[in-house]
Amino acid sequence: MKSAMIFRLLMLAGGLALALLPSFAQAAPPVERVFRIEASSFAYKPGQIQLNLGDRVTLELVSMDVVHGLYLDGYDLSLTADPGQTARLTFVADRAGSFRFRCNVTCGAMHPFMIGKLTVGPNHSFTLAAGLTISAIAIFLLIHPRRASQ
Amino acid sequence: MKREILARILLLALCLVVVLIPLALRDRSLTLRARMPEDDGWSPQVIQAAAGQPLRLRLTSEDVTHGFAVGQMEMASVDVLPGVVSEVTLLFDEPGIYTFFCTRWCGLNHWRMRGTIEVSGGDAPALADAPLYVALGLDIDAPHPVPGVPSQIPSAARGGQLAEIVSLAEFSTPEYYRAHSPYQVYQDLVSTNLNAAERWDVVSYLWRSQTTAEGLAEGARLYAQNCAACHGETGGGDGVFADQLAASGQSSSQTMHGSMSARTPADFTDAQNMLGASPALLQGKLMRGGMGTGMPMWGVIFTEEQSWNIIAFLYSFQFQYQGVTR
Ligand code: HEC
Ligand SMILES: [Cu+2]
Ligand SMILES: [Cu+2]
Repeated sequence: MKSAMIFRLLMLAGGLALALLPSFAQAAPPVERVFRIEASSFAYKPGQIQLNLGDRVTLELVSMDVVHGLYLDGYDLSLTADPGQTARLTFVADRAGSFRFRCNVTCGAMHPFMIGKLTVGPNHSFTLAAGLTISAIAIFLLIHPRRASQ
Repeated sequence: MKREILARILLLALCLVVVLIPLALRDRSLTLRARMPEDDGWSPQVIQAAAGQPLRLRLTSEDVTHGFAVGQMEMASVDVLPGVVSEVTLLFDEPGIYTFFCTRWCGLNHWRMRGTIEVSGGDAPALADAPLYVALGLDIDAPHPVPGVPSQIPSAARGGQLAEIVSLAEFSTPEYYRAHSPYQVYQDLVSTNLNAAERWDVVSYLWRSQTTAEGLAEGARLYAQNCAACHGETGGGDGVFADQLAASGQSSSQTMHGSMSARTPADFTDAQNMLGASPALLQGKLMRGGMGTGMPMWGVIFTEEQSWNIIAFLYSFQFQYQGVTR
């Protein structure tokens, strides 16, 4: 009975640690990544990019209709691509956070709305979800000890 | 009385000066506005100029990024940006009609965005010679597939080694090269007693020796700027506009006297098609255009030399030129 209680408490602690401590997720080693971003009036495909801190990233900007650009906030990098002339840019993602990228070439009426997002950082969502689920089970077991031990 | 007249004259003179100064200082340059071809392209579309006199243009765009350059003229293209005025001064030595064109892809119809500069003065220059395909009597619109293709990519380096043991003098002139398709040469080489793969290697070598590393580099640059959006960056006929072109061809072919016009950009990686085309044929198509197929006409844009460099580059989608540095 007592050992079961300790086990549940440990389970709760473990679950919370998994959910809340970032160190568990930071393990992903830096890798080379290539993203092909298709730009057409007035959107980027994909519009969201997720990478890990330290990754060496190559962005390939492919324009599908008119000349488009890509300016990455925070990193102060820019690219311009004509249709038929893929523009490439390689950099190391050494700043964590979420950065907006946007078209820096006037490409038409909706041009100001041509934006995307680049997120640099460990991918928390899986560990967060897993940790919270484990914690929830542990709490459930702590609240209803009888039913669990029957 | 005398003083009054003097005063009046002085006043008049002053007025005249005030009116004339801004007139004299007025910017005599012409403003050229760019809009997407769907919205009428350039305005004005025809510009008058005189030989030997500088033509100053103020360029601006009313919608997206465009570019400006004059065909067959040594000049760096100028970006034409919305909200910005870029100035350019042109000097024409010879009278004649020049074509200016947009150099930034501003949409599917970008290549239609052209205008002319009519340069007057002196004698008009002698008419250019008829294009080679006309002199050779080639039908550049006929399909030109070959019955057989090489089993491996023909290598100019391997061909170069064979060239030392067989006599190729009659196949090595520019005239012979331009007038024959690779397949015709492959067949003519039967006289050398080489096997099929070896003969294709020799063809690759002969094609490579008709150009230079610089020529190929210029061809590659012009191709990327002007052709890749339709023909694809790697020549596969799958550029970003290929689908849209095909779609527009389908809708218009129903109305156009029932005849289907080929709107899919040619695939330069297709050996069956490419090895059956002579440089003269491809250059003819390039300079004359497809006439309604969606293949633009480039004769007014490229110089003769540039056109042969592009054609030499197109064959590099068929031949392996690695290992040849000249
Ligand atoms: C707007 C799209 C477009 C652009 C830009 C374009 N082409 Fe084409 N091209 C086509 C289409 C469509 C065809 C096929 C129909 C035809 O042969 O007329 C074609 C056919 C050709 C052919 C004929 C091939 C054969 O086997 O007969 C050649 C050669 C060619 N293009 C070269 C070029 C070069 C070189 C450029 C750049 C300077 C260029 N094209 C730019 C659309 C384009
Ligand atoms: Cu844009
Ligand atoms: Cu344009």
